[in-house]
Amino acid sequence: MTEFADDPITALVRLTEKVALELVYSEAGKDVGLLPLNCLLGEIEEQVSLLVLPDEVKQAVKAARGWIDEVFESTGVFEQPVLDRLSQWSQWMLEVLPVAQSGQPLPPADFLAPTASVPAAAASHAEKIGADPDEPILLNLEGDGELLREFINESYEHLQNIEGGVLVLEENPTDAETLNSIFRAFHTFKGGSGFLNLKPVNHLAHELESLLDLARQHKLTITSEIIDLILAGRDSLKLFVTEIEFQLTEQKPRAPISFPIQHLISRVLTVTTGSQAPTTRPARAAAASAPVAPLSLAEEPEAQVKLAIVPEANTPPVPEAQVLKSTAGALSVKVDTSKLDSLVDLVGEMVIAQSLVAQDPYLKRDQNQQLTRNLAQLGRITKDLQRAAMSLRMVPIKSTFQKMTRLVRDLSSQESKQVQLVLSGEDTELDRTIVEEISDPLVHMVRNSVDHGVERPDVRLARGKSAHGTIHLRACHQGGSIVIQIEDDGGGLNKERILAKAIQQGLIPADAQLPEGEIYKLIFQPGFSTAEKVTSISGRGVGMDVVRRNIDKLRGRIEITSTLGVGSCFTIYLPLTLAIIDGLLISVGRERYILPTLSVRESFRPTPQMLSSLNESSEMVLVRGKLIPLLRLADHFEVPDAVRNPMEGLVVVVESNGQARCLLVDHLLGKQEVVIKSLGETFKHARSLAGAAILGDGKVGLILNVDSLVRLQPDRLPLAA
Amino acid sequence: MLADQIETRADAVRTVGGKYLTFVLGRASYGIDVLKIREIIRLVEFTTVPQMPDFVKGVINLRGKIIPVVDLRLKFRLSSAESTERTCIVVVQVDVSNGVKTLMGLVVDSVEEVLNIGQNDIEAPPDFGTKLDTSYILGMAKIKGVVKTLLDINRVMTAESLLAIDQSLARV
Repeated sequence: MTEFADDPITALVRLTEKVALELVYSEAGKDVGLLPLNCLLGEIEEQVSLLVLPDEVKQAVKAARGWIDEVFESTGVFEQPVLDRLSQWSQWMLEVLPVAQSGQPLPPADFLAPTASVPAAAASHAEKIGADPDEPILLNLEGDGELLREFINESYEHLQNIEGGVLVLEENPTDAETLNSIFRAFHTFKGGSGFLNLKPVNHLAHELESLLDLARQHKLTITSEIIDLILAGRDSLKLFVTEIEFQLTEQKPRAPISFPIQHLISRVLTVTTGSQAPTTRPARAAAASAPVAPLSLAEEPEAQVKLAIVPEANTPPVPEAQVLKSTAGALSVKVDTSKLDSLVDLVGEMVIAQSLVAQDPYLKRDQNQQLTRNLAQLGRITKDLQRAAMSLRMVPIKSTFQKMTRLVRDLSSQESKQVQLVLSGEDTELDRTIVEEISDPLVHMVRNSVDHGVERPDVRLARGKSAHGTIHLRACHQGGSIVIQIEDDGGGLNKERILAKAIQQGLIPADAQLPEGEIYKLIFQPGFSTAEKVTSISGRGVGMDVVRRNIDKLRGRIEITSTLGVGSCFTIYLPLTLAIIDGLLISVGRERYILPTLSVRESFRPTPQMLSSLNESSEMVLVRGKLIPLLRLADHFEVPDAVRNPMEGLVVVVESNGQARCLLVDHLLGKQEVVIKSLGETFKHARSLAGAAILGDGKVGLILNVDSLVRLQPDRLPLAA
Repeated sequence: MLADQIETRADAVRTVGGKYLTFVLGRASYGIDVLKIREIIRLVEFTTVPQMPDFVKGVINLRGKIIPVVDLRLKFRLSSAESTERTCIVVVQVDVSNGVKTLMGLVVDSVEEVLNIGQNDIEAPPDFGTKLDTSYILGMAKIKGVVKTLLDINRVMTAESLLAIDQSLARV
């Protein structure tokens, strides 16, 4: 695959330039850039093999590939000598390529000298950081307990997906959807385990993911042997997961967890590397994704319990692990959302029915003691039931946000960046399903922001920014949505490059005219990748694909704004369905409406001095020295018999997005927590309404969309009566 | 063109035999496929939704679900009537678009019965020319000398009426 349709030498120069660029971002002891480099070198090798070039060039390319392979085979992270040689190589290549076909003598390629020091260095490094995949896992139960529990719960689901998927593959080995779903399961496994520093799990999941990636790119045919491999991988992962769970639930004493996976990994590697057809991208590179930060073991030494390591070669201790009963089922139950919805609906109705019965005049007259007692008991139970039903769904987003704090800390220290994560709105309550579903996308997006958004301190300083990058993570209720925002002050997205790549990958026609926001959205296309880390997009775009899928599933949407060099802002809008808000119940004529208390600033009865009108049309109210347009709700909603004179009614000042409006209402009826319900398809275009809620008497109250009310243009406001 | 239309209509008629819930609006009797009917409830108080066409009475709480209610009299441009003891809401399931289903309440004067209407009793709707759109009529059934109009509730409630709702909302 050629990068651009220009002549082969220019293409090679371009690729080499990219190698040089990647090298700038790589450093010793890290694997940053390893995968893209591997991919680029693969493309270069492919190009070179098609051209008539001096042997020196071909050898140099081959050598460079060899170095990368060595890195893969040893520690998986760069050593300084390798980086040095690679940068010498790229300089030499850039010098040589333009003249390579002219037959001129080439400058000597000194860096091709044999390098005895590398393996030694690699070995010592391996000891140092312990990249041995059979290295045991030491659980940090104190610090990571909650996260581990989540990981385990999710893992069981992924394991199940993998198993289910494999069954489908046996019938239909090319089913793209299934290949994708298994791939994503391993991908998520990799992310989670990397985050929790479960290195062997991470390593294994990574290799399996690469395997699946090849398969879904049609570079590998699923045979029964490969299915066996996937299943073996799944079983090994399951061993780890159950063992972690046993230690977590104290069914087993704490001990380092180790199962031999080395042989499995090498089997997978044999397949992935063996399948490399000359015209395909190398497997490793295809598997590139933002590597997950290995957490430093030294950070929380007191929490670690070290015991002897007992790895038994090739005989995983299956029986022992399976004797103990798995409690994953008992920890949590996944329930269909629609069932929960109808449960909450019915409980709400029951509360209303209960209060109707309790206040029934006939029963009250009866004064039967037994009946009164029973009714009181019913009332208590109903209240408890209601509380329980509500709490089933609503959780603050705090725990998810806190996970990000840790992610940012680890990632930034690993990449020697200075990144500060500023959280706000952690107490925003979200539907539990939303919190669960939003966690993965958030991890991806925050990781992207750190990895590719925020620049290195030196780059930042050169661009005239402070060395310290800031990522804001916010959550709030806004209008009819829950808004989660990730904003960084990093490099921003490169519009032109995204567009060029999308056209090249055939995602859009070459002459497509897209508005800015649509261009950014291209990064959510499955498989979209600019393969250029500097464009602040992850290696292969899998992450963003998953992000969009998850958000789509929640019926939400995502918007991107970005300024090159200044930063990017990802805003996720999620629907309010089933979210609870604190509402202010107001009345206008015979109608009742609910205003989200959060957007209400104050309410008062105006004095004549506060009222004025502009050009004899738009009415204004003077509130604390500021003139705010008055919106007569009765006129806007065409409600008859409402209070006409502002001095007889009340003015409620509402605010959204920095804009304020005074709403003229008849009365304030009280404050009430209401469950927001969607008005459904029929009224989906009713912009003034954010939804509806069922009030205490069983009637429906409409929730006003303050966001759109404040945006009504003053000239659209009705004339003063 | 016209022949085509007649033919498709005849096709439709051939498949419309079955059980119908019949109800009364004014002096006329209508039928809706019972499979579309979710339940029949007594008239409850509506919450008016602002700036809707007059036939959209508002929304009601149906055991925790919020559903829109349409006055079929106003929808069919009949004169509005005082509600009586027999006035009730027929809750139907409507296919809004692309398989999205939603519940809607229809206010009718009174519900009659569920009838098994045979294919032979159903005739294609008369052609009123361009004056009257009859696309929402499945056919005319003659039962014991009384003509009942069988409605395609999806057509009554979707295309045209929802458009009307949208248009009125565009002003909001």
